[in-house]
Amino acid sequence: MPGTGSASPESPTTSDNAISGLLTNYIEIKNALVADNDKEAASAGNAMANTFDNLDRASLTPEQAKVYNDIVEDAREHAEHIGANAGNIEHQREHFETLSQEMYDLVKSVGANQKLYFTNCPMYNNNKGGNWLSETKEVQNPYFGQKMAKCGSVKEELN
Amino acid sequence: MSRKKIILFALLIAFIAIQFVRPARNYSGQASLDNIGRVFTVPKKVDAILKSSCYDCHSNNTRYPWYAEIQPSGWWLAYHIKKGKSELNFDEFGAYSRRRQNSKMKSIENSIKDGTMPLPSYLWIHKNAKLTKEDKSLLLNWVKKTRDSLSLKH
Repeated sequence: MPGTGSASPESPTTSDNAISGLLTNYIEIKNALVADNDKEAASAGNAMANTFDNLDRASLTPEQAKVYNDIVEDAREHAEHIGANAGNIEHQREHFETLSQEMYDLVKSVGANQKLYFTNCPMYNNNKGGNWLSETKEVQNPYFGQKMAKCGSVKEELN
Repeated sequence: MSRKKIILFALLIAFIAIQFVRPARNYSGQASLDNIGRVFTVPKKVDAILKSSCYDCHSNNTRYPWYAEIQPSGWWLAYHIKKGKSELNFDEFGAYSRRRQNSKMKSIENSIKDGTMPLPSYLWIHKNAKLTKEDKSLLLNWVKKTRDSLSLKH
């Protein structure tokens, strides 16, 4: 594992909200893509699909549940595809892009018990751009990986 | 009988035996209410391309080649069709969530651009399923329009 940032010992026992497990998996995928590590991205993707399957919806308010139900089918599939595509990191990144938008919408509704930075890389996908959620204010680009690690800027701070 | 003959004979018996294990056909025989054409505009030309290049694995109706009658190739086809339909089924497209419809359009766009679909193994047999340059630009144009209409629906 590359020693960037991911070592902070977040205690998972503190009263997390319903989606903190998903966020943990998501951040793992993101950091694996930053490190150009397709295998780790895949295992985090599989873990995330699993978290979706076991998520307790009971703690969501009706409004939050509405957003969750809207994204779950598609987001789960993206996580699963990231899991199934070790060896094809560009394809993992394509799925990660839509997954990021869905996680953003979910965090906007449910909130998170950590600070998150909604970051944009304008160059991704032939300059159409791509967004992602990061736990660090410092830009670490998951779309280009180490090739262009610093490309991007924070658009919005969440929580 | 020599050892070799016994083995050949056993193989022959096994080959005959597996012919009786036939996977269910992917055939619905009726128009689906959730077909993509019922929820989105699909121009005739685009529809024709989808039918000839995509529908065998991405709809509820497959046009089977002769070797589907012979096992294990029929099993192999059934596996591909099952997988293809779970990824994308144009006969169920209307029942997908708006987000999933959008994602699928994005994936269609990517796989056309990257040339990953139709699968090479499919094109090997179905020569006329190969997408020409014009086919691709027609499809990409249509995908773009469909995605625009999806974002307006929101």
